[in-house]
Amino acid sequence: MANQSGNVYGLTVLSPILQDPNAETSHNCAIRMNLAGLPRDESSPFARVSSTHMARLVVMDDVVYVGMPSCEEHLKSQYLVFETNFDGDLDTYLARMAGEIPTEVDGIWQHCWGYPGVQDVGAFISYMKMCQITTTFYFADVNNKTVQQTLRALQTQAAVAEFIENNQGRTPVELQKSFADFLQMLRNAPPPIPGRPGTGGPPRIETRMKWATKN
Amino acid sequence: MANINYKTYAMNAITPMKWWKTWIVRVFLFILGAIKPLQKDLVQLSFIHFARWVIITRSKFPHAAQQQPKEELKYDYLLFFSNFNGTWNQYIDAFSAVLSRGLNSIWRWSEKFPGSVPVTPFKQYIARCQFDTDYYYTAYPYAATNDVKAAHRVQSALEAFEKESAGKSPEEFARSYLTFLVAVQRDLGETGKAPIGT
Repeated sequence: MANQSGNVYGLTVLSPILQDPNAETSHNCAIRMNLAGLPRDESSPFARVSSTHMARLVVMDDVVYVGMPSCEEHLKSQYLVFETNFDGDLDTYLARMAGEIPTEVDGIWQHCWGYPGVQDVGAFISYMKMCQITTTFYFADVNNKTVQQTLRALQTQAAVAEFIENNQGRTPVELQKSFADFLQMLRNAPPPIPGRPGTGGPPRIETRMKWATKN
Repeated sequence: MANINYKTYAMNAITPMKWWKTWIVRVFLFILGAIKPLQKDLVQLSFIHFARWVIITRSKFPHAAQQQPKEELKYDYLLFFSNFNGTWNQYIDAFSAVLSRGLNSIWRWSEKFPGSVPVTPFKQYIARCQFDTDYYYTAYPYAATNDVKAAHRVQSALEAFEKESAGKSPEEFARSYLTFLVAVQRDLGETGKAPIGT
């Protein structure tokens, strides 16, 4: 199925946005204001739905007119485009959105035609599927690793570089002991946090200081 | 700008197609998806985390409520979404230089597509068809595609080294450690903020 590449699912949803000439703030504008206030780092709602690799929300105002001799035409509704790349299956992901970020989902999609809210998870899933557009071609460069595996690997990469730097010139006995401690420390490291700039773990300088103290 | 989240750029584009051309694009994209070697250039470029083309036919724009006015369109539309590293100009330049044949096969069916070479009219066309992102999230904002691939190689090498070096004498361990260093040395680049570009 083109919506999937390996273990990664590519969801594309177009939700028609409400039109209300009497509204003080138009619905598309309200969505944009809401989105502008959402954090994009580890406090992002999508960091809580932790199987999300990357996600975007876009208000599509209209289709594009590319010039003569093509016809000029316009949409009758604006659409909220939700494009996301995540691990696992669609139903589980949508249920997680409804369960873990209900306020944010309601805050955004309440401005769309036919949105049923997240209280009835089944209705929410059905609504999102009704607005889903099947992906025709989907490319994921790394499609066999979960978000957590990738964050963990990035954390390991930084830690290994630091270990090598800090253990130059050691005797074989010291090196072996130091490596055993390193592995233990890596195992005990807290899970990296999605969306946090860096490797998902503590900033490198702090890690460096910890190593310096320890060794 | 919401199109960018540290190292990754979210690009959206929409182009109109005559309905009878849609099937040609659909067949081409099906073949591209089914025959993995055809994706070789995309993989080798190694700066696209995720990308997709989505065909939406003129009668399939979601209609979610009775009161919502129905769309009456003449064209089908081809949507393109990409999550890539680097700047817009670098991306379009690389697309034009490396993937021109593939891109032409996909977009030549869109109205007034000028071809991906020469690059100037191609950029003008993309700029006209592009629309901005309002919100963009990435789970690993400091990591480019190459960083992610390198990190997974280091992780695998470390796990293998751990297994292989267990129970060795310190001298044997030190020799294996050197082999491990040589194996991972090119994958230890530090992640961080993206360089400033245009």
